[in-house]
Amino acid sequence: MNIVVNGTAHAIESGPLTPLLDVLREELEITGPKAGCHQGGCGACTVLVDGEPRRSCLLPVAYADGAEITTVEGLGTPESLAPIQQAFVHHYAAQCGFCTSGMLLAAQAYLDGGGTDDPEAIQEALGGHVCRCTGYAKIVDAVAAAARGESFDLTQTAVGKYTTVTTGGAT
Amino acid sequence: MAKHRGKGIAAIEYPTGMNQNGDPSQCWIKVKPDGRIDVFAGTADIGNGSKTIQAQIVAETIGVPYDWITYDNSNTDSSPVCTGTFASRATFVAGKAAEKAALQVKAKILEIAGKELEIDPADLEIIDGEVVAKGAPQTRMSISDVAAAATWGHGELITGTGAQLKPYAAIVDPETGRVDSPPHSAISYAACAAEVEVDDETGEVRVLRLQQCYDVGRAINPTQVEGQIEGGAMMGLGLGVLENCYPYYPSVEHRGGAFGSYLAPGMEEMPQIDTILIENPSQDGPYGAKGIGEMANNPQPPAIAAAVYDAIGVWITELPITPERVLRALEEKAAGKHEPRREGKKVVFDEELSVNTVSSGGIRFEVPA
Ligand code: FES
Ligand code: FES
Repeated sequence: MNIVVNGTAHAIESGPLTPLLDVLREELEITGPKAGCHQGGCGACTVLVDGEPRRSCLLPVAYADGAEITTVEGLGTPESLAPIQQAFVHHYAAQCGFCTSGMLLAAQAYLDGGGTDDPEAIQEALGGHVCRCTGYAKIVDAVAAAARGESFDLTQTAVGKYTTVTTGGAT
Repeated sequence: MAKHRGKGIAAIEYPTGMNQNGDPSQCWIKVKPDGRIDVFAGTADIGNGSKTIQAQIVAETIGVPYDWITYDNSNTDSSPVCTGTFASRATFVAGKAAEKAALQVKAKILEIAGKELEIDPADLEIIDGEVVAKGAPQTRMSISDVAAAATWGHGELITGTGAQLKPYAAIVDPETGRVDSPPHSAISYAACAAEVEVDDETGEVRVLRLQQCYDVGRAINPTQVEGQIEGGAMMGLGLGVLENCYPYYPSVEHRGGAFGSYLAPGMEEMPQIDTILIENPSQDGPYGAKGIGEMANNPQPPAIAAAVYDAIGVWITELPITPERVLRALEEKAAGKHEPRREGKKVVFDEELSVNTVSSGGIRFEVPA
C-alpha cells in the first residue's frame, strides 16, 4: 500500500486493517493527529483524505491506499501558518491544543467547501469535535473570521467579548 | 405538555493556592549578552496560558517588549521548583515569583547602566527596552548595550531569582480564639445567571444562556481569562445537565465504560455566554491578579438548578439534572410528594471579617465566638 502524506509518498508496512491513525503516528511518526478516544467519538484524530475530513482512528489504512492525506503538519509551517491557523492563534481558539489539529482540518474542509461565517453552519460542520477547554465560543469565532477572509495580526490576541469592571483599591 | 423557561442565579467564592504545608514556586531569569531574556520556571502550562502570562509579567516588570522573552519550563531537572498547575495557583503564586525575579533583573540592569552612564541608578528608568535618564530622555542606553557591557566589560551576569511561598493556613489559638495569620492569600468571587428551557414531556433541560461575572483581581490577559471562563462555563453546563461527577475519584469503578457513555458537552449544547470581568485587585498576586482556574466550572450547576426550579417549580437536588430526574420530580410534585429543598445551613455574613479575609495584608482579626 502507498499513501501520500502532506505531499510525500510512503510505502506502508503495517497490515491493511491497521487504523490510519496508528499508521500515521506509529509507523510514519507524524503525531499531529491525536488519539483522543480511538472510538470515533471525539474528532481529535481527524485528517483530510483526498480533501474530506475523516476520523483516522476508524479508517483501516487499506481504505486510504493511494489517497492523498493532509495532517496539520501539511496545513502550514510555523513560519507561514495557514489562514485558519492564524485565525485560531489570533482568536485564542486553543488552550491545551489536544483537539486543535482535528478542529483545524475540519474547519479547513469547511472553508474549502465554501463555508460561510454563519455560526450555525460552523457548529454543524464541527459539531462532532469535542473540546474540553475552550467552551467552543472562540473556535466558532475563529472559523467565522477565517470564512470572512480576514487577515490577522499575530502579535496581538483578538479582544474578546467581555466587559470589564474595575474596583478601587486592593482588598 | 409544554416548554417552560426559567432563570436562576448562583454566587460562589474560591480561595487561590494551597494553604497547608507550603506551596512554593520559584523563578530564575538571566539576560543574554544581546539583552534578550531567558526565564526558567517549573510551571507546566496545561492550556491555562501560564507561559504567556508569566512572560507578560516579566516583560512588563522589566520594561521590555514581550517578544524578547524566552520562557523555558521544559526540563524538571534544571527548572526551579514549582509545585504545579493546580489550585488555581499558576498566575497567583508562580506569576508572583516571576515578578520578584524580574524586579531583581531590573535593578541589576539599572545598576550596570548607571555605571556606564555615570548616573545614579535611582535616576534611571526602563522604557521599551531602553534605559532612559529621568527628565533627560536624550541620555539613554539600550538594554542590549547594557547586557553587552555587563558581559564583556564588567564581567557580570545580569540575573535575578524570585520565590513565592504562600503563608501557612490560619491556626486559631485555642486559648484566646485569635488568629495571627490570615487564612487565605486571595479569595475570588463569581456569580452566574442561567436561563434554561425545560420540556415537561421529555424532561430535557436546555441551557440557553449563561451570564457570568468573575472577580479576577487583575486581568493580565483578558482574552485568555475570558477563554478560561467560557471553557469553565461549558464544563459547568456539562456538570449541571450531562456529566456524572464520580464521587469516589480516583477509583475507576464508577467511570463510564466507553467514550460515548460519558456525555461531555459538544458545540450543539453551546449557549449564549456573556462574560463580565471584575478587577478587584488582591494584595499578593502579581499586578493584583487572583486565580480563577478551578472556580470557572463551579457556579453553573447551582444556577441551572435554580433556573429549573423557576421554570417548573421543582428543586432537583442531585446532579446532573437528567431528563429522568426532571420527570421523576414532576411526577412526585403531581402526586403531592415532592420534597422541597432542604432549608439547611444558616449563612452568616460579616462584612468586616469578609473583607479582612480576602488578602494576606497581615491584618489581624478576631474569630467571632
Ligand atoms: S480518536 Fe478518532 S474520534 Fe476520537
Ligand atoms: S483546547 Fe483543550 S481540548 Fe480543545
